[in-house]
Amino acid sequence: MRLRACLWFVLSSFLSCSLWGETRPRYGGTLNVDLSMTFNSLDAEATPLVIWHLTGETLARMDARGVPQPLLASGWQREADGRRWRVSLRADVRFHDGELLNSGSVAPILLAALKKTHGDVAITAGGSTMVVESASGLPNLPAELADPHTAIVRTNETNSLIGTGPFRVASWEAGRRLSLAAFGDYWGGRPFLDSLVVNLGSVRATGDVFDIPLASPRRIVPETARIWQSAPRELLAIVSQGARPELVQALALAIDRGPIVNVLAQRKGTPAYALLPGWLTGYEFLFESAPNAGRARELVSSLRPVAVTLSYSPNDSFAHAVADRIALNARDVGLALQISPNSNGALRLVRCSLATADAASALTTAAQCLGLEDRPAVLDNSKPETLYQAERALLESNRLIPLAHLDSVYGLAPRVHYRDPGTANPITLHFDDFWVDP
Amino acid sequence: MSFRTKVFLSITATVVIAVWIVAAVVSALVTDSFERIDTQRTAALVGEFRHQFARRSDDVSRRIDAIANSETVQRLAVNLSGPQPDTAQYVDEASALAREQSLNFLELIGPDRRIVSSAEWPARFGYQENWLADNTNWSRGVFLRTEELADGSALGLVTVRTVKAGDGVLYIAGGLELDKGFVDTLPATEGMQVQLYRNMGAETAGNMPPSRLASSLIDEVRAQPRELTRTGVASSITAIPLLGIDKQLLAVLLVESSRAELVSLKRTIQETAWGVGTAGVLIGLVLSFWTASRVTKPLRELATSVQEVAAGDWGTRAAVRSSDEVGRLARDFNHMTEQLTEQRDRMIQAERVAAWRELARRLAHELKNPLFPLQITVENLQRARQATPEQFDDVFRESTQTLIAELDNLKTIIGRFSDFAKMPAPQREPMDLSSAARDVARLFDAQIHAPGRPLVEIRFELEENLPSISADPDQIRRALSNLILNALDAMPRGGRLTVRTQSAGSPGRVAIEVSDTGDGLTAEECERLFTPYYTTKQQGTGLGLAIVQSVVSDHKGTISVQSQPGKGTTFRIELNR
Repeated sequence: MRLRACLWFVLSSFLSCSLWGETRPRYGGTLNVDLSMTFNSLDAEATPLVIWHLTGETLARMDARGVPQPLLASGWQREADGRRWRVSLRADVRFHDGELLNSGSVAPILLAALKKTHGDVAITAGGSTMVVESASGLPNLPAELADPHTAIVRTNETNSLIGTGPFRVASWEAGRRLSLAAFGDYWGGRPFLDSLVVNLGSVRATGDVFDIPLASPRRIVPETARIWQSAPRELLAIVSQGARPELVQALALAIDRGPIVNVLAQRKGTPAYALLPGWLTGYEFLFESAPNAGRARELVSSLRPVAVTLSYSPNDSFAHAVADRIALNARDVGLALQISPNSNGALRLVRCSLATADAASALTTAAQCLGLEDRPAVLDNSKPETLYQAERALLESNRLIPLAHLDSVYGLAPRVHYRDPGTANPITLHFDDFWVDP
Repeated sequence: MSFRTKVFLSITATVVIAVWIVAAVVSALVTDSFERIDTQRTAALVGEFRHQFARRSDDVSRRIDAIANSETVQRLAVNLSGPQPDTAQYVDEASALAREQSLNFLELIGPDRRIVSSAEWPARFGYQENWLADNTNWSRGVFLRTEELADGSALGLVTVRTVKAGDGVLYIAGGLELDKGFVDTLPATEGMQVQLYRNMGAETAGNMPPSRLASSLIDEVRAQPRELTRTGVASSITAIPLLGIDKQLLAVLLVESSRAELVSLKRTIQETAWGVGTAGVLIGLVLSFWTASRVTKPLRELATSVQEVAAGDWGTRAAVRSSDEVGRLARDFNHMTEQLTEQRDRMIQAERVAAWRELARRLAHELKNPLFPLQITVENLQRARQATPEQFDDVFRESTQTLIAELDNLKTIIGRFSDFAKMPAPQREPMDLSSAARDVARLFDAQIHAPGRPLVEIRFELEENLPSISADPDQIRRALSNLILNALDAMPRGGRLTVRTQSAGSPGRVAIEVSDTGDGLTAEECERLFTPYYTTKQQGTGLGLAIVQSVVSDHKGTISVQSQPGKGTTFRIELNR
């Protein structure tokens, strides 16, 4: 009996060690990433977040609960009722070119980013501390500091991107390929991977990691691949550009969001009834409504026949498919809806990335992306009711029809491993936590 | 109508009618031949259409069979057989399968007749295809169907296959579009055109708007689907109805054969006919001129000669240019005029002799009457001298008185002849014809009312305000006097003498008539009435009416007579104002 127990212990230990050995992080190797999309510059607007945050970092980051946490900043202090913030910088952080991060190098970059949303902002730099001031107030400055647009990156004399992230740009062929190399002096420790190669516009699914787009080009996902799916982080909506509110209302009642999400998006998302997804705000269900073709027909019959055009991005096959389906739904209620790529229709199908866990920031981003002129004022994250009121006001203006909140989906090859941060609603993959088997 | 015109019209009419008949016959033959060929070509094209239709039907069947047997469809069928079928992942499959099989339409439809995937309208997934319920036992046939598309609809040659999926079936419905591409594959020869017009409710749709003829033909076929052919000026069109599975009219195939070639040919014939006809007219014109110059010129010359002869030129001769009928006619004409001239000369000579004889007779008669008393008187004087010289003086005195009286009578007679011989030229002056007529008539009052003479009533019908005339009053009065005297002489048993003045029928002329109710004259007498020395009276010289005619003639007037035996005579003189 003792012997048997001893054998059982040895076998269990061996199996445990074997399994640990397989999942234990290891350094080295190159991760090949195939992305179906393309981008032609490495700035924050163009580059997808999954790539961007490898080279550029922000002063703060959002945690799983949507609470800002220090990143390049070591901390911050709110003063003067949110009109002034004292931000301390993390020590021993270096740029990819070896320059030490300090308030002198950060302040101009941050000031340029904040000026876009706060015209009266001023920054006083001194050593490892900066004082950020604005007479109109900066209630959500920590959240804003987590926004990729406030990332601390610059370009050198050869126009290469210089950041503080775990990877530095090794080579860049615009629109085709991006090679990143591990940054050995990264303040958070060297990443496991030696390098990372991103192939852009790739329709193959042969890389270690590949995205699975919502619509064609179709990819045959290998059976051995694992699927990683983000939280809904992209808004698909129709925005009116001068269409009559009654028409927008009729169209909203005519559209059946279920088939759009379940079939066209292949369940990579959820039907949207508000700008922000429920996981981010918790109140989206309050805006839920079922299609009502009868009411939609009544509204349409009260309108004199008008030619309405729904435009969509010409390169977005998913948007095209959605526009087709919406035109079909519209036809069912007697509304003649023409669809047109890349034209200024009275209605526009828009996809907006909400790649942040900060609801207020996401709402501002969404409003900005949708081109709403009366975008909400700077909201205080600490007051969710103001966020709800602001979003409700936007939705009740009958200029918006949220359609879906879409996920990002990636396929992972068997040799790819990563540390699971245990986040309930992951927004994106973090390749700096990836390692690969030889 | 001149001879030349008749010749011209005859030649032109002959040529034009001949050309028209030839053109009409040729045109009819060409039309008949063309239409026969056209019918054959149309029939061949329609046959080819049916052949291509059947071939495409086979293609559709084969391709849909391949899809029904494909791994994708089998996988979908298995999926649908499961407890919780997930068809979302198949939403793009129809497009891929349609591309593989080169089909225009393909729909994968679940047992609940909801579209799983649609190639022609990808957005229609989830919608129901209720038409599938109309037929539970899909044969392997291929049929026409109007396929709904996002941007309208299209005519499809489709078929349906079923694949067992659990308790139900998976429908595979697809096919090829019958479009311009299909129509273009038909081997239409030059001048032929094939059009496909779809029946879309109140309208039709095709590659190009139908012509008026085609449009009416389509309407006829829509009203009653059947094959029809109509022929217009520019083309002939055959319409073939294309029916769907429920025999509803889905489209009309129009096979149009251009008649441009025929029209061109007919136009050429017409133009040729016009050309020949025009040439015929010109030839007719030339021939008519030539014929006229050859035929009618001698006739015209002959006619001119006749007119000259009629005008009194008896010496005119027609030119004899040929020995044909016209030449003989000219010779005969010349001979005739020569004969007439000779006869006239002889007549003139005879009349002259007769006149001299008449004159001699008259002279003898007139002179003999006074000469006989003269002779008797002189003989009485001789006898009285010898027998009774004592009475000689008385006899001498009586005899000399008688001699003087008879000599005066002779002198008067000779004076009359002398007056007639030397009628003076009229001395014109304005005169009132009515008053002159009344005055002259009154000179005869004593004679009319002489005792023992039968009653002659004189009636004046004189127009008031008759315009005055320019004439010699003495001569006019003399003429009127002669006419009234003649009228009185014509009524020995009494009667009515009417003197009438009036404006003549011709403007600027006046007329005077003297009528009696005597015995009248015969037609022959009327003809000879104005001949000098001709008289119907016992005691007349025959110079009275000759003098009247001479006076009227010298005044540029006219004199006529109307008479009916037993009813009287009317003399009418018309004079210029």
